[in-house]
Amino acid sequence: MDQEKSSQFYEEYEVFSKRNQMAPFQHQFSLLAPNREMAMMMAKENFLRREPCVNIWVVKRSDIAGLGEDERQVLTRLDNKKYRETAGYGYLKKKWRQYEQEQFTEKNLLKES
Amino acid sequence: MTFENAETLSQNKEALSACKALLYQLADDDFLLAYRGSEWLGLAPHIEEDVAFSSISQDTMGHAVMFYQLLEELGEGEADRISHLRTPAEFRNAILLEMKNGEGSYVEKPDYDWAFAVVRNLFYDYAKMIRLQSLKSSSYEPLAHMARRIISEEYYHLMHWEMWFRQLMTSTPEARERMEQAIRRVWSDFGGVLTTGPEGKQIAAAGLMESEEVLTERWIQKVSAILNETGFQPEGEPGMKSGNGRTGEHTEDLTEALAILSEVYRKDPAAQW
Amino acid sequence: MVLELTRDLSYEEKYERFMERIEAGERIEADDWMPDDYREALIRLISMHAVSEIMGALPEKEWTPKAPTLHRKLAIMAKVQDEMGHGQLLLRVAEDLMKPLGKNREDIMQDLFSGRLKFHNVFHMKAPTWGDAGIIAWLVDGAAIITQSMSLNSSYGPYARALQRICAEEVFHAQHGESIILALAEGTEEQRSMLQKSLTEWWPALLMFFGPKSKENVGKSHVNKNIKYKIRTKTNEDLRQEFFNKYIPRIKSIGLEIPDKTIHFDEEKGEWVYEQPDWNEFKKIVTGHGPMSEQRLSLRRDSYQNTRWVRDALASRGKEA
Repeated sequence: MDQEKSSQFYEEYEVFSKRNQMAPFQHQFSLLAPNREMAMMMAKENFLRREPCVNIWVVKRSDIAGLGEDERQVLTRLDNKKYRETAGYGYLKKKWRQYEQEQFTEKNLLKES
Repeated sequence: MTFENAETLSQNKEALSACKALLYQLADDDFLLAYRGSEWLGLAPHIEEDVAFSSISQDTMGHAVMFYQLLEELGEGEADRISHLRTPAEFRNAILLEMKNGEGSYVEKPDYDWAFAVVRNLFYDYAKMIRLQSLKSSSYEPLAHMARRIISEEYYHLMHWEMWFRQLMTSTPEARERMEQAIRRVWSDFGGVLTTGPEGKQIAAAGLMESEEVLTERWIQKVSAILNETGFQPEGEPGMKSGNGRTGEHTEDLTEALAILSEVYRKDPAAQW
Repeated sequence: MVLELTRDLSYEEKYERFMERIEAGERIEADDWMPDDYREALIRLISMHAVSEIMGALPEKEWTPKAPTLHRKLAIMAKVQDEMGHGQLLLRVAEDLMKPLGKNREDIMQDLFSGRLKFHNVFHMKAPTWGDAGIIAWLVDGAAIITQSMSLNSSYGPYARALQRICAEEVFHAQHGESIILALAEGTEEQRSMLQKSLTEWWPALLMFFGPKSKENVGKSHVNKNIKYKIRTKTNEDLRQEFFNKYIPRIKSIGLEIPDKTIHFDEEKGEWVYEQPDWNEFKKIVTGHGPMSEQRLSLRRDSYQNTRWVRDALASRGKEA
């Protein structure tokens, strides 16, 4: 009976945090807590005692969908997709030189005007 | 009337002595409660809480250190000496905050009361926050500055203890019973936290902090809100059942605590540790 | 489903694939297939590591209020808090491994209380002086850093990740320890003798910390299996020698004496030769018959019992919500 009760006290929560305003949320670790409010109060001091932190998420683990060991096969990809990447367009530099133009790099394409 | 620094304050004898009295109250309150908190480490309801509670105790001890340093600036001696070498009768903390966490000791057979920890800490943090808010406009500028900094750490403490209070008040009948008992106990001695002691009038007159009456009224409002929400009201006014620590009146619990806290330091206060 | 399913493989095929992953330096995750003895080895190692952190907080905790200055009080509070935090991280790793066996934290606690789950020999010892607090922080933590660093690249991903967090904090612990012992070493005659006394008392326990050299000393050992599975990379003796290399010159440099007249570096063998600690004593200690075993265990057991009402209250509250 006690055993059963205490297992409800020990729910698993995953903890995510943001290091600064621009940073994405990053997974930290997991903890046990009986509910969300408690999980949140525990998260800050258990995992973010030293590093800077501007926000925290706690997510009940059973609400997270992930890929199992076998399902991770869907993540495989052939290495024939250069057309998606700048590496596939390396010849342009030479071309533009023929027109006495410099090729735009990531730096000057994304530069704020 | 403002005092920019220790030097300007020292020119006003009355304000200076009121300020010292106030600082001893603030520092000793935090020092003793942080000590009681540190005794809980490893004994809290679960590991995650052990870690969280320890941060709160460290913060609180850190606040005590800041207040002791202000006393050091006012010529009371080194912070370590002030905190370790005074006799119990020289301490100005409220008796409620020196009380043991329960039967037994932190190294042997601790029979600690989590309900008492939750209620004592929450009610104290309400009072502390109210004091700090008032201290933001203290006439002693170094103190006002310090209050603003300390407030930033108090938000977490309050949120943490409010969560525990609400959850335990609305769970099982056993938890409710233990919590009500703890509230009655804390209530019967909380007057000792709220009083600003024999120097209270001078503290307010020098503009160091608002009067005891004003702050007490704010505390009652704050505490009533969460008590109403959870449907419980202790009888009467907050009391001083165990005595008034602000006048140097204390219990055996403080004597024991100070003996432990200063055991090593007293071996050789002149040594570097 | 068109995926190749692990469950369709025979045990031998699964095992072979698992070992290929280990050999290739891949990381195994909690819900991956793993052989039972890999899971068992991890549970044994990590749950012992977890409760050692938690029980290890207790001897130092005795010193938190007594720490001589305000600064030392704060620092040791932070340090002991970290130990509990490490316990938390490791418990989570162990709990996830035990979950398929239908076990949770409650079971780990009960196993600890019943003596089935052992914790490190050093945390069964007395710590009667401030010198002991210094030696624990300096040398016990120093020893722990050596054993933990070896598993930073453990084949089990969650353990490796927990250790990354832990080792980052251990650097603070090491410096906290150095700061305490240097203050004592540079202090009064009384402070220096306090420190020397602690070193003398703790020396055998420090040697035992790494475990016996070979199984002749204690019976069964899991070291080889753990190395095969890349859970750890070094033997107990490798680690102890590393400890000597690192700390003997430092201990001597501050004028402390090692309580072993025979200890010396054998140039030919390329290793330290030293007096063996009493391994029978070691066996006695880790099976719960050390000087403080019973007291520290009952401290945890009693407090766990005393706060049961809290866990029960919040568990039933969660149910209604």
